[in-house]
Amino acid sequence: MKAHTLLCQLFCLAPLLVGCAATTTIDEYRPTDQPILINKSEKVVVLGRRDAGHYETDREFISCVTNKISSASINVVLEQTFIDSIYPWFEPRTAPKGLPRLKRLMQNPAVRDKVDELSIRYLVWLDGSTETLSKGGSMSCAIGPGGGGCFGFAQWDKLSTYEATVWDLTDLIEKGRLRVDSEGTSYLIGAVAPIPLLTPVKSDACSSLGNQLKTFFVVKP
Amino acid sequence: MMKIIKIFNICFLFVGLFFLTGCSSTATVQIDTKFPSVLAKPEVLSVAVIFDEEFMNYVGTPNEKTSISLGNAQVELLKNAFSGLFTTTQFASSTDNIDSNAVMIITPSVQQMQISTPSENYLNVFEVWIKYNLKIETADGQLIANWFMPAYGKTPDAFMTSKERAIEQATITALRDAGAKLLLDFRRIPDLNQWITAQQKRSDL
Repeated sequence: MKAHTLLCQLFCLAPLLVGCAATTTIDEYRPTDQPILINKSEKVVVLGRRDAGHYETDREFISCVTNKISSASINVVLEQTFIDSIYPWFEPRTAPKGLPRLKRLMQNPAVRDKVDELSIRYLVWLDGSTETLSKGGSMSCAIGPGGGGCFGFAQWDKLSTYEATVWDLTDLIEKGRLRVDSEGTSYLIGAVAPIPLLTPVKSDACSSLGNQLKTFFVVKP
Repeated sequence: MMKIIKIFNICFLFVGLFFLTGCSSTATVQIDTKFPSVLAKPEVLSVAVIFDEEFMNYVGTPNEKTSISLGNAQVELLKNAFSGLFTTTQFASSTDNIDSNAVMIITPSVQQMQISTPSENYLNVFEVWIKYNLKIETADGQLIANWFMPAYGKTPDAFMTSKERAIEQATITALRDAGAKLLLDFRRIPDLNQWITAQQKRSDL
């Protein structure tokens, strides 16, 4: 009897849990199908774009992608370490937005020497954010001396859109671009205690982008 | 039984008060951070920078509910920036304490500070503006330029744990922006550029 009840509960929960999956799309552009070769002594730095007015590529996402890349035995320099070493050339106001500006910046001997000293070969720019698209439902919570609880149902859609651009700091060319869109709906059910059923939209975007970026690079033995 | 209910009600009142205090929107922020040294080729010039008492202990009050103590942080930032900008830089609290080698005297001051929070700008960002004035004079007190230098910093609120933390981060970004602007734009001020060029030509002769 007990097993029966448990099965019923599982069946009831299954559609909700399936509903918590994110849909992720990746678009990739590379000038050639050859992987980007990287020496063991060469390093990659992952930086977030912070020049847009209404959003910033958040540090949590950048460190997530950095961890994904470094798990493939690629040497990665931490974002803050790089920005501090090269201050003030990669601040939101001064960071190069395109290759012509990068080429001009790399003509500065102090900047070139610092990049060489840090052994950085590739720079990955990440640009994007996670936004809540729409919200629905309502939930009300109350607390009193006799106890408290939440009742209702709420749902919201989230969309993560991020673009990664890989620059070669030696040849001063673009090596490829990646774009990831991840969308999903999260739910909050109020049945005395609030039960969140969250869709890890940003986490999915990070995994997809990080894993795809890993395939860009091949470490030379 | 009555006594237990009374104790429970008092506890409940305290919990309520605790939550209400948490909703208070006053913010007192102390900026204590280290700034990196700058990567630049310095100008061959001997300069004195005056950090007066007011600048060293500056507390910005962009609105009645927010106070940001940034005296120490801005002094450290500008020390790093000016040291990267000129070959010889001395720092003093007044013009009486500088030696005779200095050909240029720079006195920075904060003109204005503003903040904007998500409840005001309807964006998920905290923003900070600091407007500096750099009074730049020759060693004998002649004004070369009065440079109004705005700096801007923002930070998203999504990953910040509190309003104070978010304002602190935005202020640090604004201070770093001030350092970047100082380094990049110093020679772009026409009066300054003209004066420095003339000074360097005189030294070469």
